[in-house]
Amino acid sequence: MRSIDMHAHISPEGYIRAVEAGEEWYGISGMSHEFHLAVPRTMWTPEQRLTDMDSLGVDVHVLSTNAVFYCYDRDANTVAAMDRECNDYVSQLTRDHPDRFAGLAALPMQDVAASATELERAMTQLGLKGAMIDDSVNGKTYDDPEFFPVWEVAEQTGAVVLIHQGMQTVVGERSTRYHLPNTIGNLVERAITYASFVFGGVMDKYPDLRICLSHGGGYTCFGAGRMDRGWQVRSEARVNLNKPPSTYLNQFWYDCLTHSEPALRMLIDSVGIDKVVFGTDWPFDMQIDWPVSWVLGLESLTQDEKEAILYKNLENLLGI
Amino acid sequence: MRSIDIHAHVTPQSYIKAMKEGQVWHGVGPGPLDIEPQLEWTPEQRIKDMDSLGVDVQVASTGAQFYYYGGDAQVIAAMHRECNDEVYQMTIDHPDRFKGLAQIPMQNVDLAIAELDRCVNQLGMAGAMIDDKVNGKTFDEPEFLPLWKAAEQMGAVFLIHQGGGTLVAPRTRSYHLPNTIGNLVDRAVTFASFVMGGVMDACPDLKICLAHGGGYACYGVGRMDRSWDVGRLPQIPQPPSAYLSRFYYDCLTHSESALRMLIDMAGIDKVVFGTDWPFDMQIDWPVAWVLSLESLTQDEKEAILWKNMEKLLGMSSD
Repeated sequence: MRSIDMHAHISPEGYIRAVEAGEEWYGISGMSHEFHLAVPRTMWTPEQRLTDMDSLGVDVHVLSTNAVFYCYDRDANTVAAMDRECNDYVSQLTRDHPDRFAGLAALPMQDVAASATELERAMTQLGLKGAMIDDSVNGKTYDDPEFFPVWEVAEQTGAVVLIHQGMQTVVGERSTRYHLPNTIGNLVERAITYASFVFGGVMDKYPDLRICLSHGGGYTCFGAGRMDRGWQVRSEARVNLNKPPSTYLNQFWYDCLTHSEPALRMLIDSVGIDKVVFGTDWPFDMQIDWPVSWVLGLESLTQDEKEAILYKNLENLLGI
Repeated sequence: MRSIDIHAHVTPQSYIKAMKEGQVWHGVGPGPLDIEPQLEWTPEQRIKDMDSLGVDVQVASTGAQFYYYGGDAQVIAAMHRECNDEVYQMTIDHPDRFKGLAQIPMQNVDLAIAELDRCVNQLGMAGAMIDDKVNGKTFDEPEFLPLWKAAEQMGAVFLIHQGGGTLVAPRTRSYHLPNTIGNLVDRAVTFASFVMGGVMDACPDLKICLAHGGGYACYGVGRMDRSWDVGRLPQIPQPPSAYLSRFYYDCLTHSESALRMLIDMAGIDKVVFGTDWPFDMQIDWPVAWVLSLESLTQDEKEAILWKNMEKLLGMSSD
């Protein structure tokens, strides 16, 4: 059984060398360095990663540069240069190990034109499959028309846009305890992002745009009924939208990172089995342990559904 | 078939009168009266609407706009006493049609306990409706523990219901998302605060009902369990999902599949009827909606519509 992991992170080699030397890299140091030193697997070589993938039974990592490197609040030119180095590195890995790695680009989303340019370069010159971006950019959500040029390039080039939160989520405003900014925060960020794309009319304007919502799309599918009710009774929910928001559930892709069999089952039933892909969050502690075994062990899924999730859907989506 | 609605709101007539007369009411106003027309109805008009909906009993709660936890505690305590006396009067005038939930001034825990005690032990109310937070504080703060202990002793029920801004509002105010996503995430944070803060362990008989079906609590609990699995929640002896059945939840999910999942995860004895009358986000024809759900058995429908609430509120007529 093949398996392709859509949600697997990497830190650029140049950055790892900077951490080891205790030096800055494009202005990054401090907490980011500590974060990497605390999770040794973030510092592993590609060969160490491949050995771990072998032990997990994962054939392909669709590599995305860690969310630590979003840096949307920093100087755009510096971050654009950093992202080019990140993307060149990921591209090199996909050429060194074409059977084991595919890649997603990092984009300097604080500069939409630069992001569109870099996404086009990643798709047409680097052989990457799309990009990973945050749920918001300096407080702006993706219904803001300023981002439309990125979706336009993504649609034209067939890029897949993986949505993954950055360092802070909306939950932090209420509580920073018990890891809730992650365990609740990641999931609500994804629901807001789904809503921003749908209620904002982006999915109508770009019908071939391919968005993959990580962490199973968060609370999106469970909470869609209340969004539909809001659309029914509130004119402000209908300004860009002529159909209930739940009708767009199957226009997105979702990874299987739910940490819950009934949640995954509900996701499949809500969005369609062809829209759920394998994603593990390697190498962090909130990942799925022994992820291939976890999927294979789920009693409420058929064998066909397991194969769709583990590799078939991603083969179709990414053309690999 | 009986039906008892735990999620039904009231606006104090004394407030309505004050606003219409251009008066100040416990520090509020004068100002325009901007409320749903149904909230101006008399109890008798309300009962007619309940009859048309097939709702036998409303457990009436004064609306969340009257929390005023940011106000002066003594002033708001007096406001809440007046709110609660009005709800009490409804329950006395129509004992078969109304039960009551109190407003309590959460900005002062001693005053909140005193008012809860008065409402439950003197006025015969079921408990209180409170926000998900108090001036930025979540309910794992130790200062609230005396309230939970007192409520446990009284057998009072807390209905948790957001007020003011939710966690979504700082990110976006568009498309009604602060309500449609925000209410649900606020409830998940409250579930987590009670559980991970050790409140449910410290107060094993505490009765908490999470409005809006507990929001995202049941769907998202797997990820909370993961953080327990990896050692991030050493303070609780069991994973968070083990506490799902310690709470009550109303059925206000606007989704049959979500309600089915809630029942399967929390237990059918923990799901109660709640409609959000009279707001636009309520369930339309709520009794008919529950009765029509194909994935629920008849026993499950009866448990939700009235049996669980009779037990929870000690209304059993046998």
